[in-house]
Amino acid sequence: MAGFIIKRLLQAIFATLAVTLLVSFAIRLTGDPALMLTQGAGSITEADLERIREALGVNRPFFVQYFEFLKGMVTFDFGRSFLGGTPVSRLIATALPATLALAFWSMLISVVISIPLGIKAATSRGRFADQIIRVLSLVGLSFPNFWLAIMLVLVFGITWNLLPPSGMSDWTSYIMPSVTMGVILTAVNVRLVRTTMLETLNSQYIMVARAKGLSETRVLYKHALRNCAIPLVTYLGLQFGGLLGGIVVVERVFNWPGMGTLAFDAVSARDYPVLQATIMVLSLMIIAVNLLVDIAYGLIDPRIRTE
Amino acid sequence: MLKSVFKTTAASALVALAGLAATASPSLADGKMTVAIALDPGSWDPIDTFLVAWGAVGSNIFDGLTYRDENAKLGPGLATSWDVLDDGKRIRFSLREGVTFHDGEPFNADAVKYTFDRLLGDEGAKGPQRANYTSIESVEVIDENTVDFHLTAPDPVLLTKLAGYGAMIVPPKYLEENGDEYFNTHPVGTGPFKFVSYNPKVDLDLEANPDYWGGAPKLSELQYRFIAESATAVAELQAGRVDLMEDLPISMIPVVEGDSKLEVLSTTGPTVYGLRYNTRDGITKDANVRKALTMAVDRATIISSLLGGEASEIASFQSALSFGDDPDLKPLPYDPEGAKKLLEEAGVAPGAEVQIDIRAGNSTMNEVAQAIAAYLQVVGIKATVKPYESSVFLNDIVPQGKTGAMFQQSWGGWTLDYDNTAYLLYHTGEKWNPYGNDTTLDAMLEEQRPMTDVAEREKKLQAIAGYIADQALEMPLYALNSIYGINKRVEGFVPAPDNRIKLNNVSIAE
Repeated sequence: MAGFIIKRLLQAIFATLAVTLLVSFAIRLTGDPALMLTQGAGSITEADLERIREALGVNRPFFVQYFEFLKGMVTFDFGRSFLGGTPVSRLIATALPATLALAFWSMLISVVISIPLGIKAATSRGRFADQIIRVLSLVGLSFPNFWLAIMLVLVFGITWNLLPPSGMSDWTSYIMPSVTMGVILTAVNVRLVRTTMLETLNSQYIMVARAKGLSETRVLYKHALRNCAIPLVTYLGLQFGGLLGGIVVVERVFNWPGMGTLAFDAVSARDYPVLQATIMVLSLMIIAVNLLVDIAYGLIDPRIRTE
Repeated sequence: MLKSVFKTTAASALVALAGLAATASPSLADGKMTVAIALDPGSWDPIDTFLVAWGAVGSNIFDGLTYRDENAKLGPGLATSWDVLDDGKRIRFSLREGVTFHDGEPFNADAVKYTFDRLLGDEGAKGPQRANYTSIESVEVIDENTVDFHLTAPDPVLLTKLAGYGAMIVPPKYLEENGDEYFNTHPVGTGPFKFVSYNPKVDLDLEANPDYWGGAPKLSELQYRFIAESATAVAELQAGRVDLMEDLPISMIPVVEGDSKLEVLSTTGPTVYGLRYNTRDGITKDANVRKALTMAVDRATIISSLLGGEASEIASFQSALSFGDDPDLKPLPYDPEGAKKLLEEAGVAPGAEVQIDIRAGNSTMNEVAQAIAAYLQVVGIKATVKPYESSVFLNDIVPQGKTGAMFQQSWGGWTLDYDNTAYLLYHTGEKWNPYGNDTTLDAMLEEQRPMTDVAEREKKLQAIAGYIADQALEMPLYALNSIYGINKRVEGFVPAPDNRIKLNNVSIAE
């Protein structure tokens, strides 16, 4: 297991380097931060722009700048935002928890809803309940998440004035963004649970369990669910990556002060240090989750541990 | 970091359990106002940014030597009076007495000198503001309450620049003790509101400065929330959690108007839009062709239909509020028949092609450009609209002279003085003048700069605008209004044409 983890860690480091190198290079092709900073200023000369570029350090060769960034990565000092000079680590330290909290609640909503629904659909295969659940999941899949977000805001935020339309404040502000993300995930997960459950329920050991006279609940939730867990955990791990991507849209609609908002603003302002660090943290997280998923296999299924 | 993740998550779970009885929407305290701002400038130091968003906030924390009121009229600020001396090469300011910064530090001549030494020195060199004040050679302290500004050359626009942005007066002792970095996130000025707290990307809280020299503000608390998406800001406005938002998109005006608690306020804005011509090559090289193209487009209809009437026609590249605007100068009339005739005389065959380059991402401008293309079609010109990514457009296409026959120009004109537009747009060799090299125009532009006689200079600027209209260097389109969405319980808010949201006389009704 230790060797496996070390190998995966090395892979992770390589992947992070590749991602940050690519992103750092690509953003530098898209525009000049000095120009973005001075957009509102009429009387800017080339000499002024050059001075600002020097102050921002963007007039140095690309690899010098990238090396600085790598050096900062080790000490967790990502420099300062071009927009106002706030330390990037401070921006990330507030944005990351906001995004993770949102991701956590969305995943939780989706798991809590999709497992019972998926099982119900599988056990009543082809019958009315199954049809309804499948149609609902199709509807859920077809929603663009920004549309759902806007509808929720209209109904709960404005018409009924029950929930805050945007921002991260008390617990009520978590509901709409988490539900928006959660609904999309749920729609996918219900189908996954249903399919894996159907396969499992056809296997011999379930028949044995039933033959032993175990209660149906025990059969489903103890024996069958455990065997469905491997594909589920794999998929949830993958989903987490996608979730972090989708969060940009949801965060923007709900004005959620997370990594998505940070990345969006950084792209518009050509704020290299912030964008580099945001992408790096997000990719590290996706890599870390995949690593955790691999480790989780061993915990769920002892057979994998001995392989 | 992981710990704080758990803390946030755990805390929200706990609150969720315990807080079921809590009310969902927070009630606004008496005298507290919340303003939605599209972008967090990231620093509250006046010399760090050029964002209009900064102006909306900074104008309430800081003061300049001069002050421009809601009607864009220039008057005394931290300076009570000034004399222009030595043919405009020296300005003597008498400073307001008994003013203190929010931290108790006295405002005096030393603070003024410190502010401009800093702006023109190393710290200012890192930011975008310095370029606007390079006509200042040095600031000399005459006595406690008098300073002299020595200028390298007369600068007619300087007094209006001193009313805002980079020229806001900062506290020397506070800055020396705490450093620039701390100042970025803990600003101290002499303005009507004092800094309380700042959460980057989330909000900024201010409270009333009861000792403000212009009279204590009527609001006790002022909160700014950074909301990038205008639809989200409108939702917050409707939910009553935001009292005022700037830059209400034209498409959302009906939503705000349809809500009985809200209203739309608008005023002539500082930003003008036009299409400039490539005067170097192609059919637009000919001034008569340029005139014909301008006459082919019904700008009044574009304003009333596409812009919901929230703009006004312009004859030169400035709004009616700009110093140098000539009310007698009229835009070329909409006259498609006359345009056809002119084109024929100029030998332009029907079916000639022009390309209109615009900045991508602004849906309104995109629609306007499409409409213009359609109008040109009517007079036999085949126009195509080509949108460019903003940065590419501003950095590469326009300054390098790589545009099509026509290209979009929008201009903020924050000084509300035509010189600041005209010189940079039409003088030979300027970045925003890729095609023109007109010695007559250059001479006219240079001639007005040192003029200290205000009336004389205004005439000169009007002559410049007339000359440019005559040469048809651009198709002037419109001055766009600044549009605000506001809760009706807010009293006394007057939208200012320079987009600086001043709130010292605003109050909130019960």
